[in-house]
Amino acid sequence: MSNMMSVTIRAEADGERARLVPVGAFDLAHASAVVRAVEQAERDLNASGDVDLHLSALERIDGSGAVLLARLVDRLEARGLRTHLIEDRNPHAARLITLYRKRRAEARPQPARTMGTLAQLGSVAAAVPGMVTAALDFLGHATAAVPRAFLSPRSVNWSSVPRLMQTIGADGLPVTSAANLLVGVIIGFLGVSQLERFGAVVYVPELVVIAQFRELGPLVTAIVVAGRSGAGLASELATMQVSEEIDALRSMGFHPVSWLVVPRCLALVATVPLLTWIGDVLALGGGLLATIAITDMTPRAYVLATAEHITATHFLNGMIKTPFLGLIIGLIACGQGLAARGGAAAVGARTTTAVVLAIFGVIVISALFTLLFTLLGI
Amino acid sequence: MPPSRPHIVVEDLRIGWGTRVLMEHVSFEIERGTTLAILGGSGSGKSTLLRYLIGLEQPMAGRIDIDGVGEPHVYRGVPPFGVLFQSGALFSSLTLAENLALPLTTWTGIRGPAVQDFVQAKLGLVGLGAFAGHLPGEISGGMKKRAGIARAMMLEPDLLFFDEPSAGLDPISAVELDHLIVTLSRDLGITIVIVTHELASIFLVADTCIVLDKEAKGIVARGDPQRLRDESAIPFVHNFFTRSSPGAPATREG
Repeated sequence: MSNMMSVTIRAEADGERARLVPVGAFDLAHASAVVRAVEQAERDLNASGDVDLHLSALERIDGSGAVLLARLVDRLEARGLRTHLIEDRNPHAARLITLYRKRRAEARPQPARTMGTLAQLGSVAAAVPGMVTAALDFLGHATAAVPRAFLSPRSVNWSSVPRLMQTIGADGLPVTSAANLLVGVIIGFLGVSQLERFGAVVYVPELVVIAQFRELGPLVTAIVVAGRSGAGLASELATMQVSEEIDALRSMGFHPVSWLVVPRCLALVATVPLLTWIGDVLALGGGLLATIAITDMTPRAYVLATAEHITATHFLNGMIKTPFLGLIIGLIACGQGLAARGGAAAVGARTTTAVVLAIFGVIVISALFTLLFTLLGI
Repeated sequence: MPPSRPHIVVEDLRIGWGTRVLMEHVSFEIERGTTLAILGGSGSGKSTLLRYLIGLEQPMAGRIDIDGVGEPHVYRGVPPFGVLFQSGALFSSLTLAENLALPLTTWTGIRGPAVQDFVQAKLGLVGLGAFAGHLPGEISGGMKKRAGIARAMMLEPDLLFFDEPSAGLDPISAVELDHLIVTLSRDLGITIVIVTHELASIFLVADTCIVLDKEAKGIVARGDPQRLRDESAIPFVHNFFTRSSPGAPATREG
């Protein structure tokens, strides 16, 4: 915006009476120059009684210029001077300045929103009991929703389950499949690079089966689902929460946990095992590609070795975890979504938290199952 | 003295999506410093027309000129108007002061204490001077709308668009908002285009109005709201202004 036009305030003294004469365009386009002119005028003004503000030389004035002149008048009066607006055939300017003086309001001092490190730690610690209570509360509602679903089937939005399975399962299949395929390739390369020195490349197929079926298949699939579908579910419910749709459900007698959370958890419990199973198969293919690419092993030999080491124990070891992994993703994502308060920022924050907690949660669940199976010797 | 050019000229506008035409042959002018109300029933396209006027959508045909400049949908930089959206549309992660300061610090060279002077002045104008440090989530719906008006005025536009400013407000907040709109128009000389179906607001704030009808796909009446209420022979317009429907039961006598 241009500041080329000259903008000044002439300060003139006539005995005890002083005159301030703004000259030029006092508008937003010249705001910086007006600010300087006002500051200069205050320094130049030598008055002890009355100050007349003559408006005749104003070429143009808008709200911005009126604000700056109004504030100037306020400061002069705060110094004990008596100010008078002299319209001088410029009633519009006088009206604007008067309007902004009349509607002035002081800002109330606001508490600082930034906190020191110690205060932040204290704030987080103080919030922990509330967070734990809220989490247990949600868990309680979710648990109570299970028998309610059987006793009162209408409390659950069953019709949404196919759509959710489509979104979480079918639409997520390419991503989880690609991830598991690549994991199989990685295991294959890693296995060859480490076992080749011992002349034990023949054990690579077994390595791929054990690593993929027991651990990596369920874990990688769950992590991808947590990031993809967990984020989607959390943001969907968070948006519903901040736009009062959850309140509307409750006002109509629906229980949000039964109506929304149960179908989502059900869809995850059903689809994560299926996605894992398909991912396991593709990972075997990945291991095959990696091994035959860099060794002399033939595809037939690889496949036979793989088939020999696929056991029900390895398979079930991994698959048993998958419904629980789906469940933890659903509970965390939905819980975070329903806990959103505020606006768009809250939706983003809860979605991020949901993904982070869900990924952490699936790793913890996997670790616990691995520990259990190790202790059981299976 | 030659007559001043209308502030807004809309000529033979056709709007819609794909093959669906929402309204056509829409033409009207808005004189500088006046308040035009865009009226109509639900689904008549009031808010949609507003979106085209402020350049959020490109019309299928026709012309929209604001202050002699056409094609608002291709504006670069700062449009020459401010807009109050129906919900206020304040940025929820910024305080009211930060919301208002954003256009100022982005589009002008103003920095430092002057920014706060301008912000406080505009908040004071709408009666929110004491809430500068509050987040939008911490204030009521009516206050959000007033803050939205203050933000729309930060760059001193001489044209303001309001989309259903009274929607969702209690009667007292609604009339306070109406008085604020009257102040902006009469004391600051701002041209105002207001989309509304609140009859009390229309008669208080509007100098003139256009009435849209979904079936007619365009303007069915225009002029002074009170004159339309008292003299219009068009049943839809009469029913709109008198809050009567064609099949309404007769009121009980006595």
